[in-house]
Amino acid sequence: MGVLSQDIRYAFRSFRRAPGFTFVALLTLALGIGGTTAIFSLVDGVVLRPLPYADSSRIVRLNRIAASGGVDSFSAADYRDLKRDATTLSAVAGYRSDIVDVTGRGEPIRIVGTQTTAAFFDVFTAPPLLGRAYHESTDEPGAAVAVIGESIWRQQFGADPSVVGSQVRLNGVPTEIIGVMPQWVRHPAKSDAWTLSPLDVPTSPFGTDADKGGSRDVHYFTAVARVAGNHALIDAREQVKAIAKRIADQNSGSAGESVDAEPLAINMVADVRTAMMVLLSAVGFVLLIACANVAGLLIARGAARRREIAVRTALGAGRGRLVRQLLTESVVLALVGGGLGLMVAGWTLQLLVGFAPGNLPRLDDVVLDWRIALFALGTTIGVGVLFGLMPALQSSRPELSADLKDGGRSGTSRTGVRNVMVVAQVALALVLLIGAGLMLTSFARLRAVDPGFRTTDIVTVELMLPLARFSEGAQRSFYTGVLERLQANPVTAHSAMLFPFPFGGGNAQASLLVIGQPEKPPQQRQSAELNSISPGYLSASGLRLIKGRDFNTGDGADGPPVALISESAVKEFNGKDPIGEKIDLGEPVTVVGVVSDVRRRSLSDPPRAAVYLPYTQFVLPYMGAMIRTAGGVAAVASAVKAAVAQIDPDLPIGDVKTMEELIADSTGEPRFRSLLIASFAGLALLLAAVGVYGLISFTVAQRVPEIGVRLALGASPWQVFRLVIGSGLRLAGVGVLVGLAAAFGAARLVSGLLFNTSTTDPFIYVSLSLLLLTISALACYVPARRAMKVAPMTALRSE
Amino acid sequence: MIKLTSIEKSYRHGLSQTFVLRRVNAEIKQGDFVSIMGPSGAGKSTLLHILGMHDSAWTGEYWLFDDPIHQLSAKDRMRVQKQHVGFVFQSYHLLDNLTVYENIDLPLSYRDVKKTEREGMVADILDRFNIVGKKDLFPNQLSGGQQQLVAIARAVVAKPSLILADEPTGNLHTDQGKEIMELFRRLNEAGTTIVQVTHSQANAAYGKRVINLKDGWIVDEN
Repeated sequence: MGVLSQDIRYAFRSFRRAPGFTFVALLTLALGIGGTTAIFSLVDGVVLRPLPYADSSRIVRLNRIAASGGVDSFSAADYRDLKRDATTLSAVAGYRSDIVDVTGRGEPIRIVGTQTTAAFFDVFTAPPLLGRAYHESTDEPGAAVAVIGESIWRQQFGADPSVVGSQVRLNGVPTEIIGVMPQWVRHPAKSDAWTLSPLDVPTSPFGTDADKGGSRDVHYFTAVARVAGNHALIDAREQVKAIAKRIADQNSGSAGESVDAEPLAINMVADVRTAMMVLLSAVGFVLLIACANVAGLLIARGAARRREIAVRTALGAGRGRLVRQLLTESVVLALVGGGLGLMVAGWTLQLLVGFAPGNLPRLDDVVLDWRIALFALGTTIGVGVLFGLMPALQSSRPELSADLKDGGRSGTSRTGVRNVMVVAQVALALVLLIGAGLMLTSFARLRAVDPGFRTTDIVTVELMLPLARFSEGAQRSFYTGVLERLQANPVTAHSAMLFPFPFGGGNAQASLLVIGQPEKPPQQRQSAELNSISPGYLSASGLRLIKGRDFNTGDGADGPPVALISESAVKEFNGKDPIGEKIDLGEPVTVVGVVSDVRRRSLSDPPRAAVYLPYTQFVLPYMGAMIRTAGGVAAVASAVKAAVAQIDPDLPIGDVKTMEELIADSTGEPRFRSLLIASFAGLALLLAAVGVYGLISFTVAQRVPEIGVRLALGASPWQVFRLVIGSGLRLAGVGVLVGLAAAFGAARLVSGLLFNTSTTDPFIYVSLSLLLLTISALACYVPARRAMKVAPMTALRSE
Repeated sequence: MIKLTSIEKSYRHGLSQTFVLRRVNAEIKQGDFVSIMGPSGAGKSTLLHILGMHDSAWTGEYWLFDDPIHQLSAKDRMRVQKQHVGFVFQSYHLLDNLTVYENIDLPLSYRDVKKTEREGMVADILDRFNIVGKKDLFPNQLSGGQQQLVAIARAVVAKPSLILADEPTGNLHTDQGKEIMELFRRLNEAGTTIVQVTHSQANAAYGKRVINLKDGWIVDEN
């Protein structure tokens, strides 16, 4: 212990006496460990950490897999059958998101709520902050009770404990708040309140009877479950599959459908898991480069300390003792670097969370806590041993008599190890650079995609209506009233109503069945996205009418059902002109026009077949206004607020966003990861440049006598300059070759994250290799200039 | 105490072989004070480093007391070295990061001497060498003579029976050199065997015997 404390004391002292080395090493380590820790925090919070509920590994999402292979929502009848027969599940709950207008206690407010069945909190077991949650054993469907979230309790109710037990009106229905859930209960994401459905399934959002009868055609809610304690996940999976098969066998409309029970923790992050792991790998590369850099510094320092090591050996220090001392120094260095790294991680994490896209799942779970501190400590000690071991082993094997005589000026083998470190750094940096190049190219191509509609001077306003207060007729009158008022206002004259917004979460679809065509089996049916639009939508959004006519005021609720279809849907008509043909949407609907395709779900998804229906004939309480205007967001928001208030003063408007904002939101995740990887690549480039600079500086210092001899023999300073630059570039060149091979292999791992970008794009590989060689040449410039200025006489005297 | 028989050391350069030491035979008794002399390149320092077990690439027989050094493993050589040998270098080789006290303490810590015992031994040496007032200074705060004094203190603190000194006054002024040689004489009188490499006849005169080397051969011994 005494020896250890002595080693630690000497380590600190030796660092103080080498401030340049210490500064560069600590900065490198702080950036490497800090960056790694911050990204690990992000990945831990989003992907690795268990969900915060009791026994959360037993919570599963029930995915209904449609005949086409896509994951779809549940119908009431399928859900009821599954819930009744799944004995391996101790609780099954259904839920759907809902807009909830809260009145009866202060100002009316609109919050994001979730309408659930009674077993919701049997699945998501969590102790309430106040009051109680509802459960299947204690609360009958239809009890007018709600649980609110902690944030809404604090922000809207002033953290007043008397809220529990009080009555408020939720969407006009008197409801008792029975409990407050802690902040960490956030499922589904952004939900601030949970209300108990009046039925044993969530009510239909369309105001139809889909929630009451045995319909299996309308899929509108999500199902989750808890695997019973005496059953394994695999049992539950097999049982729900078997039940789904039985349903499919017994109902021709469900043919080819299946159900899977997927752990919720995996399901929630399925879309971002690969990206998160790529980020973690990328930052791991940065850490490796940092290690190689510090190891290189330590080897150089070890070379400079050969006399000291030789003296220690001559005084009786054994190899183990020397290795322990040198390792202690590197671990102490790493621990100080790790401490600084934790600070860097704290700041970086704040930046990461600030810049992270809002739709990144589980962002609330991202924190720096004891798990992260343990990770940082483990990383730090690991890094200390990793970068310290080789220099320690190298330095502790002195050529004693030579080192005592010349102080360790000779020693090419140690430069050899440093060469390997620099080659490794350059290679790793190139892999990251190419990864970043691919990601950025992919992102640029994604953003350059034409979605098929106007993206500038468009403002969107969500105008959702509480179903409890607005019948279908009332919805139609409301939207018509608002639209008329907006079109009468010069600022919002080019307005239209629509559902759903581009790149929004809303979605409705149906099989595209052309009446008169031979019926296809379910697996081969073309699915079409259903859109509800008002007249004026085409001109506001910039969609082109290719054939037929636009909707007009004659296409009212009482008029004959009509539809526009997109170009992609035309092929379903088998070469016939679709105008005048009828499609089956529960009733025959006549096609009156064909419009251009759009990418509605995301820029990366190719256009899908779409059917547009007049909002007067297909009204939904989730519509919004799209306004083409140069008037700006504020002017539009106030015009829409005024129009809504004239019809219903208690009704708040929803989010107001420009189309550019909607697109930016939808590309938030690729933008986030592209920028992060680009940052890591920049850092890696910097560290590699420092590594090359350090090695060449060291080599020049070692070769001063040789350079002196060369100059004395008539070499020109420029020849010496070329000699030094050449030795650096040769190393960088080897690193580039190794890096190109490694990048070629590694790029395949990110191919799933790329859009319209080949993993072997030669331009990216060649241009970034040249960039790295140029930076390496620049890193050699200063030592090369120093070599040019060597005075032969001084150099030869030092020999 | 020391018996060398046919010690040879050579370097290979392709097909040719350059000898640094040739068939060196010598005997050094306990309490002796031997000076190794000769021109540059004669092999003086090489012989000293072989005696100090810093060099293991040689042939022949080397006995130190009853230990056949030529047969010992590296680990056992280290053990014997720790037990018997103290080394003094021409350029002192004090560790720049350590104070005078810590430099002297270092060989004891490598011999796993307990801390309390070490404190007494270092204090005793500081006192004997009259450098107590300098114990917290770093080497660069001392003159050359003071640094060599500390180096000798470091060499003797573990009470070696043999001190090997490689041109111990080579970097010192004449007066400082005399002080150091007087110190060696006192140590020798107290029973420590001393072998020094020197170019100086005056320094050799402090010793009892001289071994002259030339081109790796012992050419004269008196």
